[in-house]
Amino acid sequence: MICTNKFFKTNMVKALLYIFGFLTAGELIRYIFNIPIAGNIIGMLLIFLALRLKIIKLEDVKPASDKLIKYLVLFFIPYGVGLMVYFKLIQPFWLPIAVAVIVSSVITLYVTAIIMEKFGK
Amino acid sequence: MKEIFQLPVFGVFITLLAFVVAVKIKKKWNYILFNPVLLAINFIIIFLLVFNVNFEDYNNGGKFLSFFLGPAVVALGVFFFEKYAEVKQNLKPFLIAVTAGGLSGILSVVLILVLFKVPDFIVQSLAAKSVTAPIAIQISKLVGGVPEITASIVIAVGIFGNAFGPWILRLLGIKNKIAIGASLGTAAHAIGTARAFEVGKLPGVYSGLAMCINGIITAILAPYILDLFLLF
Repeated sequence: MICTNKFFKTNMVKALLYIFGFLTAGELIRYIFNIPIAGNIIGMLLIFLALRLKIIKLEDVKPASDKLIKYLVLFFIPYGVGLMVYFKLIQPFWLPIAVAVIVSSVITLYVTAIIMEKFGK
Repeated sequence: MKEIFQLPVFGVFITLLAFVVAVKIKKKWNYILFNPVLLAINFIIIFLLVFNVNFEDYNNGGKFLSFFLGPAVVALGVFFFEKYAEVKQNLKPFLIAVTAGGLSGILSVVLILVLFKVPDFIVQSLAAKSVTAPIAIQISKLVGGVPEITASIVIAVGIFGNAFGPWILRLLGIKNKIAIGASLGTAAHAIGTARAFEVGKLPGVYSGLAMCINGIITAILAPYILDLFLLF
């Protein structure tokens, strides 16, 4: 029983084809129209619209998208490791960076929360 | 031995190993600084320093994993579609709240850094600091920042939001759980969202969606805001 029923129901290759198809479309649009927005973000908007307009079905892309989101944190570890190369470069500026990051985070938290609390249901 | 470290399989193997060990540690001792990504990154950096391996050699394999950030961002669009029905009744205030929060975040971080006169590449690397790492890395590349610096700061911001976000909000008088969720996702992306899910399932959903929306908003606005501030 290697081939379970579940295996036939979830088609990973097809799901990946959709994901990479929309990613490619995003990159193409970015290239053709020369807009300063990353191709993968355009791809994200396109796949949302395609689902919304029922051009594609959720179950066709879900097998791949669920797995990609589950392991999202794994994928950015190499970039984090890359800090070892740039650490000396930003070290002299640690204080302004810390101040900017903390103050800005608190502002973002408060502005979002207060608007949501006042006007949300 | 250097030849072995230069093989792509080394980078992939050590990253997977560090991640699995880090997840195990987090499960055993649930402590905020034991964030799996933070732990894994530190394990790898220590290993590379001890065995004198270049980052470039490690990244021969590492880049096979970071490649999947592209499709992972597209997958966020699917997540958004799946969940947005749950916030439909609040859609307008939610969009306004996240947009205002995201915008004030970019403006304040850029303004403070410019006032401190830090070099441009740091301002460019930090403009997208509140956004989920895969999107932030793309924005950073596009605006002339250093993606590696961006990724590290983004993780730090996430851990800050996760650890102190709810406490700061309580101090500022916020009680509404949905508001707490939305603001955690806007300010501290996926790591903040993990905390929002501890507050409740609905706050968690709001947080995840806020993360997606702020990613889009920052991707659109950050290049223009940076142009404006770095002109002088």
